[in-house]
Amino acid sequence: MTIKKKPNYNFIIGSILTGLIVALALVSLVYTPYDPDAMDAANKFAGISLKHPMGCDNFGRDIFSRVMEGTKNTLFVALGTVAIGTVFGILLGAFTGYFGGILDEILMRINDAIFAFPSILLALVIVSLLGSGKYNVMIALGIAFIPSFARIVRAEFLKNRELDYVKSARLMGAGSLRIMFVHILPNTFSVLASSVMIGFNNAVLAEAGMSFLGIGVQPPDASLGRMLSEAQTYLFSTPSYAFFPGLVIILMVLGFSLLSEGISQKSV
Amino acid sequence: MLLEVKDLNIEFHDHLTPETVVYDFNLSLKEGEIVGIVGESGSGKTMSALAIAGLLNRKDMKKSGEILFDGKDLLTCKRSELRSYQGNDISMIFQEPMTSLNPVKKIGAQVEESLKIHTNLTKEERYQKAISILNDVEIKDPESVYHKYPHQLSGGMRQRVMIASAMILEPKILIADEPTTALDVTIQAQIIKLLKKLNKQKKTSILFISHDLSLVRTLCHRAIVMKQGYILEEGNIEEIFEHPKEAYTKQLIEAIPALEL
Repeated sequence: MTIKKKPNYNFIIGSILTGLIVALALVSLVYTPYDPDAMDAANKFAGISLKHPMGCDNFGRDIFSRVMEGTKNTLFVALGTVAIGTVFGILLGAFTGYFGGILDEILMRINDAIFAFPSILLALVIVSLLGSGKYNVMIALGIAFIPSFARIVRAEFLKNRELDYVKSARLMGAGSLRIMFVHILPNTFSVLASSVMIGFNNAVLAEAGMSFLGIGVQPPDASLGRMLSEAQTYLFSTPSYAFFPGLVIILMVLGFSLLSEGISQKSV
Repeated sequence: MLLEVKDLNIEFHDHLTPETVVYDFNLSLKEGEIVGIVGESGSGKTMSALAIAGLLNRKDMKKSGEILFDGKDLLTCKRSELRSYQGNDISMIFQEPMTSLNPVKKIGAQVEESLKIHTNLTKEERYQKAISILNDVEIKDPESVYHKYPHQLSGGMRQRVMIASAMILEPKILIADEPTTALDVTIQAQIIKLLKKLNKQKKTSILFISHDLSLVRTLCHRAIVMKQGYILEEGNIEEIFEHPKEAYTKQLIEAIPALEL
């Protein structure tokens, strides 16, 4: 008798959704149906048609092209944010978790203080110091994301450092850095992978929120959040302007959270 | 004398009142000798072993006395110096083969770890050495085990892999902290045989920690009996088993089940 394994639907659907969104963003690097910034007065508020599958906005720009462009920008900012958060989170979590002691106390209390701030609020403060723009939003959100990654990594290091395999690595004469990053770190990947996906999720939402408020990606660059805020005025006359960017954000977030759920199911 | 421990005291300072777990521990180990440390749980045998291996370096812990290895005091020497001994001259195997291997790294990489740290061998040379040591610990088909992960091996196999990775640089001292406790009796006998063989072939001295007196009797040349942090009795294995001086030792010997393997 063979035991049939229940398929991991979360993982499958999540990867398909994420794959589609990432593909959309990758294609936009080399090809968009129209120039996303090209205005065309004749097509102002044009409806859904074969030529413009998602219609046109108040400047007659093709919404589909702008959605592709916006997806790329949003993903780019999310990637940068998560990268900053993970790299510094791993460093911080690894050192505090492995060494403990007074260093751990000091860094983790600072961490708690940052964590106590709502991340958007913290990012707003940093952006108002650095100025708005794609890269500054990335740095701001990245800093806001460090504490949660640091905590996860720290907890894993605390758990792993007492295990015998770490003792035996130390006994072989391995230095602290080698133990931390060659021996323990790979053991945290399964936990880290699912939190990176949640991180993507939050980063997409945070970026969309910041751009909606007008401090994220700056015009004329397209951004999903920014498109939503521009579409507010035309919500009743041209609902497709708000609908499609919103849909893409929903699918993106859904894809990442299903993927994260699927990964944590897999590693059990 | 290869290893000499003089008046080792280990104190914990993590509570309000300091707590001593090992009192005046003395030990001498000659080349090629197997010495057993026996005692009940909490008698300080593992603590003494960890101290000798240089693994007790928590700040809330106080160690006094001397641990002389080749005339060098391991308690006071620099950390970098200690690390050059660890793996090279002193290595250790643990009780739980399930947790003492890194679950996400392949067997080959773990066996070669000491080589990577202490030598400049090329990848090919490391592979050759790893295969030959896996052969020495009597693992069948070492080439395929080399590419496996720990969860694909049985407990006995994992303990063999542990021994292989501890022995790959042919250390002078191998500390075995209850290496057979987690294994069943037939595998126990095989591991003991293997330790005996390695001791003969490579002249490795073994510090064997166990609460199983019958194992100690079959393997060791000398034995130390510990209780509550003190050394109660020390001597040749036959002497201890035939003419125990202390009442506690007598009780321990009487507690051995009469059934022979």
